[in-house]
Amino acid sequence: MSEKKLILVVDDDPDLVEAVSMKVEAKGYRVAKAYDGVEAMDKIKEEKPAVVILDVMMPRKNGWEVCEEIKNNNELKSIAVVLLTAVADSVKTTSYTHHDGKTTLADDYVPKPIDLDELMEIVGDHCS
Amino acid sequence: MESKNKREKFQSPLSEVSLKRIIKDVFFKPRVLVVDDEERIQKACQRLLSEEGCEVNVAQNGIQGLKMIEEKHYDIVLLDLMMPGMSGLDVLSDLKSRHPDTVVIIITGYATLEHSIKTMKKGAFDFLPKPFTPQELRVVIAKAIESIRTLQDITTEKSRMRVMINTLREGVLTTDHQKRVALANPACLKMFDCHKRSVIGSLVSDVIDESTVLGMIDRASAQPKEMFSEITEEVCVPMGKGRQDLVIGVRCIPFRDRLNRNLGIVTVFHDITALKKVDQLKSDFVSMVAHEIKSPLNSVLMQLNVVLDGLAGELTDKQQDILSRSSAKIKSLSQLASELLDLSKIESGLINQEREELNLEEMMKEHVKLYRSKADAKSIHLICKPSVKSTFIMGNKINMEEVLSNLISNAIRYTPNGGKIEVWADENCDCAMIHVADTGFGISPDALENIFERFYREKNEKTRYINGTGLGLAIVKSIVDSHHGTIQVDSVVDQGTHFTISLPRTVYKI
Repeated sequence: MSEKKLILVVDDDPDLVEAVSMKVEAKGYRVAKAYDGVEAMDKIKEEKPAVVILDVMMPRKNGWEVCEEIKNNNELKSIAVVLLTAVADSVKTTSYTHHDGKTTLADDYVPKPIDLDELMEIVGDHCS
Repeated sequence: MESKNKREKFQSPLSEVSLKRIIKDVFFKPRVLVVDDEERIQKACQRLLSEEGCEVNVAQNGIQGLKMIEEKHYDIVLLDLMMPGMSGLDVLSDLKSRHPDTVVIIITGYATLEHSIKTMKKGAFDFLPKPFTPQELRVVIAKAIESIRTLQDITTEKSRMRVMINTLREGVLTTDHQKRVALANPACLKMFDCHKRSVIGSLVSDVIDESTVLGMIDRASAQPKEMFSEITEEVCVPMGKGRQDLVIGVRCIPFRDRLNRNLGIVTVFHDITALKKVDQLKSDFVSMVAHEIKSPLNSVLMQLNVVLDGLAGELTDKQQDILSRSSAKIKSLSQLASELLDLSKIESGLINQEREELNLEEMMKEHVKLYRSKADAKSIHLICKPSVKSTFIMGNKINMEEVLSNLISNAIRYTPNGGKIEVWADENCDCAMIHVADTGFGISPDALENIFERFYREKNEKTRYINGTGLGLAIVKSIVDSHHGTIQVDSVVDQGTHFTISLPRTVYKI
């Protein structure tokens, strides 16, 4: 069997990162963790995960900015980005239009509160 | 032809025209001057009109008549055409040029068509062909008094309106179809820092340089006949250093005639600076609290789910059951926080919302269609009763949809299986009404007082298991309030509930 795929879990709430990671590991993936956007970018460049599970509202650098950096980088853009969005933002969409009119596309999204089974199904789709 | 008809109509039912009554209705004692060289006519007019309550003076000829008119104002002048010295026609021209308000009635022995046209052109009000009966005189005078009264009413109304508009704290600007200013009250000129003395007649673009407002007026003027909507925007007006910028809610309303042709645009400016500030503070607070509550709740939920999944070791059935319940509770708390955010968003949106002409029945039909499957799932008979005629209101479409969907989904939730829900629109002379009536559990009299309060939910043995956050009716109430409407509820426990929303029928057409 090939090497286990690496999944990066990013959220500013360590408890949430921990809970999601347990589920991800239980499904047989390797897990990397980051707690804000800047840290996430470092880990992404360093470890090149297969999928990034990415919170939107984070200090230092938000999820949209991280997503844009990934998708504008030829070396990284094949990495799948799954956004975690709060329902209150009611725009349940993977595209985001910046102030300058540019649009960023994530690969998928899961609304909070997260349905872990749904999340794992999406992660599975992007790993196969 | 038309005037002849009028006269006949005037004469026939009141054989004795009650000139006295008409005079009593006006607040002045009509002053009449009779200018005629025939003593017989002078006497007759004087006697008859005095009896009827007029103050009557007599002049022997044109020159004397004009002199008397210079000394004091006459409401009505009865003028003979054929007199020695100055002719009636010359007197008429002179009089009209200096006293345009005075009503002149021509007395003439030979009323030819040519003559009539000539005198009418010079401003005569009516004719009295000689010889005339007392009744004919009464009718003509009564008509003249009616006309004076109408003119006075218009003048009074105009100045009352002017005082009202000038004392408003809202800015009001009226432009005609050529986008020239027809009216601009002091509040409006102050908001846009306009110091010009007279703006009436100027192009609106020379008076206001705020491009948003000019654009709105253009858009409102360009609306096709079949469309009628109010255009709303918020405009920020910088007030220079040291002074706070103004936030102004601007509403542009087309002003149309009976044939739906645009006569011009009425623009209303409402200073919402303070409101916006308070609202910002409030929504910042609500969203801060909601986010701070939501994120930890979501995190707890995640952790519970991980345990429930057996990732932290095997669970007994009992443990599984308890954790599932606590997970469901936390989920609904998180839902509540989301709805609180929605409410705060809706309320901010109500400060300055766009309105358009809405057909209530059409909207209701759409919503009934939308909720059909939910109703069918509970075997509830959900129908939209047809109205006698189409009912229109001026309202915000998204808001009104929110109202309908809240009321209908509530009705479905609080009606037992096999019940009936009816939705319909009707109207009376001032209001358009939305009705939603169900055969549900009903609301107890104690609870009725509180149902529009935020987070209030009636709970009894029947409704205990119905989910909800208790914000739906609070949202409905806020929206109805912002449309200057009222909401009424009649309910009998175990028989059903009937919600009635009355919205003012705003008429923008003349």
